[in-house]
Amino acid sequence: MMMKKATLVICALVLSFFSITQINAQTKEPYRFGLAMPMTGGQALFGADQVQAALWAIEDINAKGGINGRPLEAVVLDTQADPKLGISMATRLATVEKVPVFVTAWSSVVAAVAPVANRHKVLCLSVGANSPKIAELGEYVYTAYPLANVDIAGIAKYAYNKMNKRRAAVLYINNDTGLYAARLYQEVFKKIGGEIVTVQSYEPTATDYTAPLLQIKQSNPDIIHLQGLVSDSPQVIAQMRQFGIQQTVTSYQGIYNQKLLDQLGEAAGDIIICAMAPDDMFHAPVKAYLERWKTRKGRTPYGLPYTQYVGDSAYIVKALYEWVEAKKLPFTGENMRTALLAVRTFETPLVGKIIVNEDHTVNSATYLIRVVKGKFTYMDTIPAE
Amino acid sequence: MIIQIIWTSIATSSYYVLFAVAFALVLKVTKIWNFAQPGFMTTAFYMMYWAINKLALPIPLALAVALIITILASWAVDKYAFGALRRMKSGGFTYFIFTLIFSEFIAYLFTLLFGTEPFTVFPNIISPVMPVTGIVVSHWDLQAIIITGVLLAGLYALLRWSKPGKFLIAVSNNDRLAELYGISSRQAYTLSMILAAILCTFGMYVLGTKIAVYPHLGLSLILFAVAATVMGGIGNVFSAAMAAMFLNLLQGFSILIIPSRWQNLLLFFFFFMIIIFMPSGFLSFISAMKGRRE
Repeated sequence: MMMKKATLVICALVLSFFSITQINAQTKEPYRFGLAMPMTGGQALFGADQVQAALWAIEDINAKGGINGRPLEAVVLDTQADPKLGISMATRLATVEKVPVFVTAWSSVVAAVAPVANRHKVLCLSVGANSPKIAELGEYVYTAYPLANVDIAGIAKYAYNKMNKRRAAVLYINNDTGLYAARLYQEVFKKIGGEIVTVQSYEPTATDYTAPLLQIKQSNPDIIHLQGLVSDSPQVIAQMRQFGIQQTVTSYQGIYNQKLLDQLGEAAGDIIICAMAPDDMFHAPVKAYLERWKTRKGRTPYGLPYTQYVGDSAYIVKALYEWVEAKKLPFTGENMRTALLAVRTFETPLVGKIIVNEDHTVNSATYLIRVVKGKFTYMDTIPAE
Repeated sequence: MIIQIIWTSIATSSYYVLFAVAFALVLKVTKIWNFAQPGFMTTAFYMMYWAINKLALPIPLALAVALIITILASWAVDKYAFGALRRMKSGGFTYFIFTLIFSEFIAYLFTLLFGTEPFTVFPNIISPVMPVTGIVVSHWDLQAIIITGVLLAGLYALLRWSKPGKFLIAVSNNDRLAELYGISSRQAYTLSMILAAILCTFGMYVLGTKIAVYPHLGLSLILFAVAATVMGGIGNVFSAAMAAMFLNLLQGFSILIIPSRWQNLLLFFFFFMIIIFMPSGFLSFISAMKGRRE
């Protein structure tokens, strides 16, 4: 009788133990974050590859045990780089998916979703957008990518100091990507003693750039700074060269992709691009990363530096979750924000060190890539200030 | 500079003209605001792109493939969709919703098939240029103007001198009366859709050899065609062509006077004024004024 009772008790205990274990396993939910990027539309050329980079980073993180045994998971939503869609997606991430942090890009989208992030107290990490305005979008909006004050200011100073250019023309696309960076270039170039001979713009829907380009030709600049998008910049440069405008063109890394060279060939002329991330030419992990692209996709990614930053944003999110978990705090946007400012320096595999400042900016070096005889070649590095 | 802008604007208005004429023609004959046109434009481009870049077909053959497929798509929409809506005596709003959804469906279908990366018809978009009395004239400019000119001339000849063309005009003026005279309005509707498909295919060839195209581009281009159709006067196909050219010239020159961010505002202001004060179109308005003076 006693033996029977003891057996029953032991069985009950064993069953309870397994039940609890089962419950624990079932409650090991993934740590989630939002990823709102253009997966369709004119900007998907970059957006889709950036999302792929992030998904591979998550794959790597989870293969090494995730975040203290819990997997990391991205909720991927399509913004089409459209501010209106961006607002819908951000709202969904905040209210339906209830993520404490999300990553997004494209300056006009970041500007549009900022009120959503601030209102719902969800940390918004802008990765790739470079409008200086992003630093002023509110408490819950931070960039994990250097803003135009780094690369655009850097190239303006480089053009004046190292290349001895004194007369610059500025051509920009009339949206958040172009407007603020173009203004910044003008301010910096004029401040150090240069002359802005003309400023021209074009609409995102434009298919012909004759009038602004002829204005530029007439103004006879030493150098032309172009602030466009990946879908229009090759056409702008093509028409520029057809009109006999052969001056050096500088631009941000928005046009740093093989398509530019495919579409223009040697007619591209002299183009200098500011890249915000190290290339495979001088950073070994990037070489392995590119090999992965060639193996799995049969090509290199469009907008390589952007994919590096967005891919590495998964490691930033990982670090934030680890910090909040270690402090035994709830996973809210507020605590994620606190974590971001507490950690501040993130060591990431593809970009290296990313330092997030309290003023919502990021410090980084700028790498100059020059188009020489129809090929991208490393030119110089502007160190972080 | 002025002459360069005029020349380049005329050349770049070529695809706008073709899209506007296609839209205006279908509207004239079938009385349908054919927002399915972006779907045909997208189909034409991607079939061309696929034939040239994936099948490595020579250009004329690739164009033929794109033409055949686009014409078939256009015919199918007319026969099975518009035909059904006509039998049900559906209102204009139903056509509008159907055609918009069709274009969106096509855009998403090609997004699935080809991805979202913008493509040009040929990998390289640089076109050789030659100076002509100080104006830069590119091979693309000449090709665009010649293609557009030949197509418009062909359309004019068809409408003016051929039996099918005259039937089109008859049906567009009064389809019931035309039926009484033994003219099949159904055949006229189908012919107008086929002609529109041809214009769209060549329009996309001209466009796609200059700029990169992505699946949703057609939907943003159609607005220009609508504006030109209204400006030219509903029912005036060749006036729509002139309106398209005028609007493109206006946009080109406007940058000399106003910042580019005001361009679209100017365009739609013009559009708005035309609808309010000249609902039968700018050219009809001018003709009417001349008539009153006489």
